[in-house]
Amino acid sequence: MRVVIAEDSVLLREGIARLLEEAGHEVVGQAGDAEDLVRKVLAHRPDIAVVDVRMPPTNTDDGLRAALELRERAPEVAVLVLSQYVEEGYAHELIGGGAAGVGYLLKDRVADVERFVDAVARVGEGGSALDPEVVAQLLGRRRRDDPLEGLTRREREVLGLMAEGRSNSAIAEELVVTERAVEKHVTSIFGKLDLPPAAHDHRRVLAVLRYLGAPRP
Amino acid sequence: MSPAGLTPAKRAAITAIGFTGLLGIAWTFVAVLTSDHTSPKWLMLVLMLAIGTSFTATGMYAWARRPDSWFGLQLSLVGLLWFLTALSASNDDLLFTVGVLFGSLSSAVIIQALLGYPTGRLRSRGERAFIVLVYLLCTAGPLAQMLFAATPGDMPRNLLLVEENDRLVEVIDTVLRGGSLAAAVGAMALLMLRWQRATIPERRLLAPVLWSGVATTAALALSLTGQLLELPGDLLNVLDFVGLFIFASVPFAFIIGIVRQNLSRGHSVGRLVSRLGAAQPGRGATSLSEALSIALHDRSLSIAYWVPAAGAGPSVGQPGRYVDAAGKTVELPRPGSGRSFTEVEREGRRVAAIVHDASLDEEPELVQAAGAAAALALENERLDAELRVQIAEVRASRARLLEVVTRERRRIERDLHDGAQQRLVALALTLGIAEHQVADDPEQARALIREARGEARLALEELRELARGIHPAILTDRGLGPALEALASRSPLPVELADVPGERLPPPVEGAAYFVVAEALANVAKYAQASHAEVIVQRVNGHAVVEVRDDGVGGADPDGGSGLRGLEDRLAALDGRLAVFSPSGRGTTIRAEIPCAS
Repeated sequence: MRVVIAEDSVLLREGIARLLEEAGHEVVGQAGDAEDLVRKVLAHRPDIAVVDVRMPPTNTDDGLRAALELRERAPEVAVLVLSQYVEEGYAHELIGGGAAGVGYLLKDRVADVERFVDAVARVGEGGSALDPEVVAQLLGRRRRDDPLEGLTRREREVLGLMAEGRSNSAIAEELVVTERAVEKHVTSIFGKLDLPPAAHDHRRVLAVLRYLGAPRP
Repeated sequence: MSPAGLTPAKRAAITAIGFTGLLGIAWTFVAVLTSDHTSPKWLMLVLMLAIGTSFTATGMYAWARRPDSWFGLQLSLVGLLWFLTALSASNDDLLFTVGVLFGSLSSAVIIQALLGYPTGRLRSRGERAFIVLVYLLCTAGPLAQMLFAATPGDMPRNLLLVEENDRLVEVIDTVLRGGSLAAAVGAMALLMLRWQRATIPERRLLAPVLWSGVATTAALALSLTGQLLELPGDLLNVLDFVGLFIFASVPFAFIIGIVRQNLSRGHSVGRLVSRLGAAQPGRGATSLSEALSIALHDRSLSIAYWVPAAGAGPSVGQPGRYVDAAGKTVELPRPGSGRSFTEVEREGRRVAAIVHDASLDEEPELVQAAGAAAALALENERLDAELRVQIAEVRASRARLLEVVTRERRRIERDLHDGAQQRLVALALTLGIAEHQVADDPEQARALIREARGEARLALEELRELARGIHPAILTDRGLGPALEALASRSPLPVELADVPGERLPPPVEGAAYFVVAEALANVAKYAQASHAEVIVQRVNGHAVVEVRDDGVGGADPDGGSGLRGLEDRLAALDGRLAVFSPSGRGTTIRAEIPCAS
């Protein structure tokens, strides 16, 4: 898989590059700021861009804005956004119309090499990866007439992993149950929450997000 | 314009006194002119009429002028009783007896009036006891005398005579004279004591009446002493007439006092105006209170300036308070404390209060005239004082803000030290051990490295929380709406967000608004036992208005908690305001108004 990395900290940029190269990917470009990122992605057309949110020139959310620009200008390039902190609102902005080829993770997750590499691969292949922290925010949010109250504990766990972008087999492995059992839970959840059934993993993410998400401003 | 306190009942009483007085004049004419036992008739008639009329009329005027004081009533009673004395000139036995019996009562009333001047109320138990004795002397004395003393043959008959007893009458006479002398001297002493204890402005008011009272009682004492010493009859007659003339001067002394007041009022206010015109810039407050204290002859005078409570809006509490020229809060004197105050208004708004000696309450026209003349200058000084108050508040709030910042820094330092820093030390240690073991025991080393990674993850989590508490990045990046959205989603209870302006506000305003909501939501979660909360942010008249409402138990103390206090200071730094409405059982609303030019 061909990768462009955008991260202003050289140490971290090199680290991520080494990690991904060891996993067999090809790092075709490294950018230190948002403008550089857009330029390199448009030039190299990689499979995926790994982007830090806080970058020059303004050191606020330049990386996120660049990622959104890339979604517009190069929709075939998957984007995995990394950040020191995650906000549910940003997840909505990123995913917007489609969860395919979008990831949004806490920067800390790179330390868990296996899962990080797995997430890069999943997003690069058109899947989704949403940080458990964001999912926790979504699920943890208290509402009046909370619809999630009807779910069992196991169903909540499954819903959370679904929202992260995991496939049924990955969920089965995580929860140490059979894939059949997971399928049954998923059907039950979609039924209880009155969601349209969806086959693809990224469609399920979208459905869950739409369902749980705050009203868009 | 009728004076305050002149009720219809008092007006009717004054009218009745007037008619009774006219009646008194008539019967005095008849009684004296037809008398067979009075000489010289014309002199008696003039004295009787002059004294009776002057006391009655002056008393009526005094009562109408100050309806709340009993002095006027007492003065006119002296006049009416004096007319009663004139009955002793009558040839009729009954009228003669009544006239003699009540002949001395007017002396008791005049002593009471003099001691009570200007309010007509006695001031101590001693004075009250003294007056009771005087009344006893003036009623029981003549009665006792008349029970045993027959009148000479050419005079009307004493109807009260029980048994003629010359020896007893002589004893009673001596006792009565002694008692009267004691009463006269006592009254004189009390009047002089009153003078000695009076404040300087009070003395100005008391002077004419008090000194004519001292003279009257002194003349009475002199005449009684003469009788006791059995001086020759002619000399005693002269002393009696002199005494009567001095007694007759009391109402005139009162009138002179009023005229003097009016003259000095015009003069004082005139001088005050020119003094204010010449006041030196820069020492405004000092020269203003000096000018007023000279105009009102009250060295102790001071000025309190009115500072209204800050601005309009929902602020709860008092409409304002009085401060001195330095901006410190001043309590106005209570009634009965010997001090009093007169409020000064300008164009219908309260400006200041002149705090002065209570005796100046007897001359409200003077104080009001002086206040009106000084109103503009007072308004200027008031604005100065208000400014000082604001400066003092700004200083205090700045100091508190600094304290808040220092406390926050200490908290951050402690959190870093106890949290992330410790974890990083542990992580470094774990990695160090792993490095040692990597050759000998790779499996153990791998476990240690995994442990180190866990430490690193926890350190990162703690740093993230800390950073969010200092200033959430989403607030800088996306503004108030998304930041409040994030805050609401992390709240342990359902929070509805309404009306947050889409446009960006100045960063300090966004910061203050965010922390108001954060603190309020934290309090709701901690104390309110609410089922949900609502957050509203609106722009109203150049202000960002932030409201957080809950449906909890209410009863929150707006002054309690350093959190709210810190917010207040943070808002004060932006000229903003915080209000807390928390009726018990009806939820809590916290409302912040932050000026925010568009």
